[in-house]
Order: sequence, then C-alpha cells, then structure tokens
Amino acid sequence: MVIAKNIVKTFKLSRQQKREMGDGFQGNTIDAVCNISFTCQPGRVFALLGPNGAGKTTALRMIATMLKPTSGSISVAEYDTVAQSQAVRENLGFLTGNTGLYDRLTPNEMVRYFADLHGMNSADYNTRRDHLFALLDMEAFANRRIGKLSTGMKQKVSIVRTIIHDPEVIVFDEPTAGLDVVTSRNIVHLIRDCRNVGKTVIFSTHRMGEVSLLSDDLAIIHKGQLQFNGTLEDFQNQMQTPTLEDEFIRIVEDE
Amino acid sequence: MKPILTIFKKEFKDITRDRRSMMMMFIIPMLLFPLLFTIATVFTTRQTQKVRTKTLVVALITHGNAEAFREILLKRDDLKIREDIAEDIIPQFIQSDSIDAAIRFDEQFDAQIADLRRGQIHLYFKSSRDMDASRNRLTTLIRDYENQIVNDRFQRLALDRMIVDPVQVRRHDIASQRERIGKSVGGFLPYIFVLMCFMGCMYPALDLGAGEKERATLETLLVAPVSKIQILLGKCGVIVLSGFASIANSFIGFFIAIMLQREIVARILDALQGMFEISSILLVLSLCLPLTIFFAAALMSVSIFAKSFKEAQSIMAPLNIIIIIPVFIGFLPGIELNVITSLIPVLNVSLASKEIFAGTIKLPLLFEVYASLTKWFERESTIFRET
Repeated sequence: MVIAKNIVKTFKLSRQQKREMGDGFQGNTIDAVCNISFTCQPGRVFALLGPNGAGKTTALRMIATMLKPTSGSISVAEYDTVAQSQAVRENLGFLTGNTGLYDRLTPNEMVRYFADLHGMNSADYNTRRDHLFALLDMEAFANRRIGKLSTGMKQKVSIVRTIIHDPEVIVFDEPTAGLDVVTSRNIVHLIRDCRNVGKTVIFSTHRMGEVSLLSDDLAIIHKGQLQFNGTLEDFQNQMQTPTLEDEFIRIVEDE
Repeated sequence: MKPILTIFKKEFKDITRDRRSMMMMFIIPMLLFPLLFTIATVFTTRQTQKVRTKTLVVALITHGNAEAFREILLKRDDLKIREDIAEDIIPQFIQSDSIDAAIRFDEQFDAQIADLRRGQIHLYFKSSRDMDASRNRLTTLIRDYENQIVNDRFQRLALDRMIVDPVQVRRHDIASQRERIGKSVGGFLPYIFVLMCFMGCMYPALDLGAGEKERATLETLLVAPVSKIQILLGKCGVIVLSGFASIANSFIGFFIAIMLQREIVARILDALQGMFEISSILLVLSLCLPLTIFFAAALMSVSIFAKSFKEAQSIMAPLNIIIIIPVFIGFLPGIELNVITSLIPVLNVSLASKEIFAGTIKLPLLFEVYASLTKWFERESTIFRET
C-alpha cells in the first residue's frame, strides 16, 4: 500500500530557470507538488494523470525515495520514505519509459546485478529469473549486449530488472511513452499481471486510453494540484462530457 | 560491504568492456615511454650525426695573415673554404644560408702576434641553426691554433707553461651515477606518473558519474536498496583501480623503453636499471595509491556534480592543467623535499619519487608525505558524504 499525506515539493530555481519562467514570474521557488494526498491499495491499479509538467514524475520520485518531500509524508509498504528509505526501496520496483540500461552488459548480467543489490540468494534468483525470462520470451537474447538490442527487447529487460525482487509496490512512470504498440502491450499485460497477484501498482500517464483499460483508481494532477482523486467508476459517474479524454481536457483547461 | 563489492564488480566488468577506458589504463601508459624514448633517441642521434658530418661552408678573410691557420682549414675535408666574400656582406650570406660561418682576421693580426700582443679573430655564425654546430667546430679549430701560438711564445721566451697555470683543479664527484640520474630522470618520471594517474582516473570517473546520469542509469541505481555512499565507494574503487593500473603500466612501459634503447651507454643503463629496484617501485607505488584515491574522489565528486558528460569534461580539462603545476614546480632547481613541500599534495609525491629513485629519500619526510596524503583523502571523503 502507498499512502501520501499532504505532500509538497518545492524546488529552488536557478537564475536561468527564473529567466525561462518569464517576466511575470515572481519569487525564487516553485511548487512542483502542492499539498496532495492519495492512497493506492494492494491488488488495485492507481493511475496518476496529468499533462506534461503537472508534477506526476516529481510525485513518483518522492514515492521512490529519490526526492524528499518538502512537507507531508509518504508511506510505502508501511515504511516511511524519508526515515526508512532503504526499506522502502527493498519493497519497490520503479520503471520509467526512459529507463536507462547498461549497454555494455548482457540482460543476464543486468538482471543479476539488480538481484544482487536487492540481496536475493542464488536459488530465489534462479527460479524468478527463469520464470520471468520465459514469460517475456527473453532467453534468445539473454547473453547479447544490451546496446545491440531493439527497443522492445530493452524494455523487456527493464521490466525484469524492475520486478526481479518481486516487490510489493511497483511504480511505472509513463511506461509506454515513445514505445511501439507491441511493446506498449507488454507493459499493459505486466501491469494487469501485477494487479492480479495482489501488488500495489501506480502508473503515471497522459493517455486516457490506458487509464480506462487498466486503472481501478485515479488521481488527476495539474500544476502540482490534485484535481480529482477517486475510483474510475466515480470519475465516470460525475463526467460532464461524453468521453474520458474530453473530461480530462475539460478539467485541465478549467484550471 | 556486500553492495559495495557488487557495485565494484559490475563497474569493473563495465569498464573493462569500454575501449576508451582500456586505452587509458593499458595501451597509452605502456606505449608512451617506449614511443617517447624511441622518438627522442632516433631524432637526436640522427640530428647529431648530421651536424657532425656536415661539410661547413666557411668564408675566410685573412688579409694575408695567419697563413698556418689558413692551410689547416684548407686541408680539412669537412670544411669548404670561400675566400671570395667581402667583409660587409658576410651577415647577409649567413642569414640566407649561402655560408654556415665566417672567420675574419684583423689586418694587423700577424704583427700583433709577433709583438706578443693580442690579435683579433672575428667569428660569424648563426647560433639558432644546426645545434650551433658551426660555432662549436670552428671554435675548436681556433682554440687549437691559439694553443699553438701560446706554445710558440713560451718557447720563444724560454718559459714553462705552468707559470700561467698555477692551480690544477681535480673534481671528485661523490654522487653515484644512480643519484645523478635519479635526480634528473626521477624528476621527470613523476610528471608522467601523476599525469597518467589522473588520466587513468578521469575516463572511468566521467563514465561512472556524469555518463550514468546522461544515460539515465543512475536513476535506476538510486532506487535500489543501497545507500549513496555505497554507490560512490563501489564506483570509486574501480576508478582507483584504473588510475593505479595506469601508473603500474607506465612503470612497465618505462622498463620496456629502457630495454629497447641500444644507444644508451652501458653505465647509464646500469644506473637506470638500478633505479628500478623492486623496493623503489613499491615505495613509489605506495605513494601513488593515496594520490590515486585523492584523484578518484575529487573526479567522482565533479562527475556527480556535473549535469552532463560534456559539462564534467569541461570542468575536468582545466583540472588537468592545475595538477601539472605542482609537478612542474618539482622540476625547478632548488625545490627539494622538506617539511613544508612534503605537505603539498601532488608536489610531495613528485619530489618524494625523485628522492626514491635517486636513493636519497629521508624516512621522516616520507612518513610526512603519507600523513599529508591521508589527511587530504579524508577531506575529500567529507565531500562524498554530502553528495
């Protein structure tokens, strides 16, 4: 379970960033996330929705302990992200669309590296590795250098790297951005599989199609503020426009 | 400890698959000395040989004086004498390379010599050409001629030449061949070792810090259950190894270079080989280890601080020049290892290495160098913790 309570993230701006904000901007800081709260339940998929620059990635990075909230608190699998960051990371898998892989390693070496960092023993690793490699049909390229793999193959390696330690909470930050249809479908299947085995799944996106396909709960975030937080069903019930996409645009533009 | 080892092993594997890092670790350090030595020896030998055997074209204006000297010059195979050039155009002829040098005697030369007075000979030459060969060769001939005149005079006056040479100085240099060579070559070696150490650390530091940031792999590592200090220590271990391997390979390269030199005189070769005793090498390597750790920590901090590979490179390039300054100071005459210089990083390693190779290192100063380097490393590790 992930519980975010009144989280705020304020960034100090450099001179160049202030210039880029335009003449109308006053002050030295910007609130990327302003006082947002939400809960993601095990066995459910939570979608974090918002246009580019809304604060989705900042919120997810706080969940993943990469950023500390300026105020408020987040608990992941009952561990506090600031006070117990290491325990949080032990129970977390984090995948971004932009996930970097080590080009000079092979998929086998890459996955083994992260398994070792998570302290997995050889027996558990071998069982889990064999299961995931077979599931994603990865054996054929398991010993080829990652730098020589296709985008789809690389994405599979990223997926296995993210879930090799069987984390309780899995975070996907715009996982399908820039990917082809086949690879995107792999991700969608993975998210569903994770939900079906009782994992807490959070994913951020700006594609409404993915939301209706996958999510149980959703939050809409715009300019760092929470615009909606509830179940997909609630959202559909209170829509003022015919489609999810139109409703999303209406909420964002009204702001 | 285990996560540090895991990161170290992975980074080591990664770096050994990077051609650029391997070049900096093995190829360049091993080839640099043999290449430098070979180029220097071949060019110097060729140039010296060329200058020694070259036939000099010399203009001679005697005004009918010094007939004996003229005959000596005319008989020589390595000189081509021209007596058709006027006195006022000699500089232009030398400048335009039509002649190499000119010798002009004063009109009263013979009369002055006969009167036991001083006669004047003018030697024209261009010192910037051919390693000043014209002046050297002609000065030797003139000196022989002068000696002949002096001997004639002593004979004429029935005097012993010892009258003008009352003191004879006999020099007894108690410095051993190894000490003399060690002080000169030993001063040059740290320059290469320090530079190699820095370069050996630089590429892995760039790749493992800013490079990871740019490839977005650092983000995935930061989500793993390891602390930032463990990540940095694991990475730094590989950078230290790379820098240290560069130094060790420089030693091997230097040894190969000496072995390949056939032109080196046997006694100099013996002294050079003496410098490379196992104990000297181990002592210098042990000094280089804290220096490598210092470089690794400093470069890793820069690399992590930089937003991109390019930015890290632009910060590290001037550092390259900065670290040369203390090494260069170690070259300067009069700069010795003492209680103050042994506290200055890089300079202390440079000076201590020089003393070790010369076999004149004083133990208290060596310990001071170790203490100083350790202290500096501790300061850098403070930067680590804040990263």
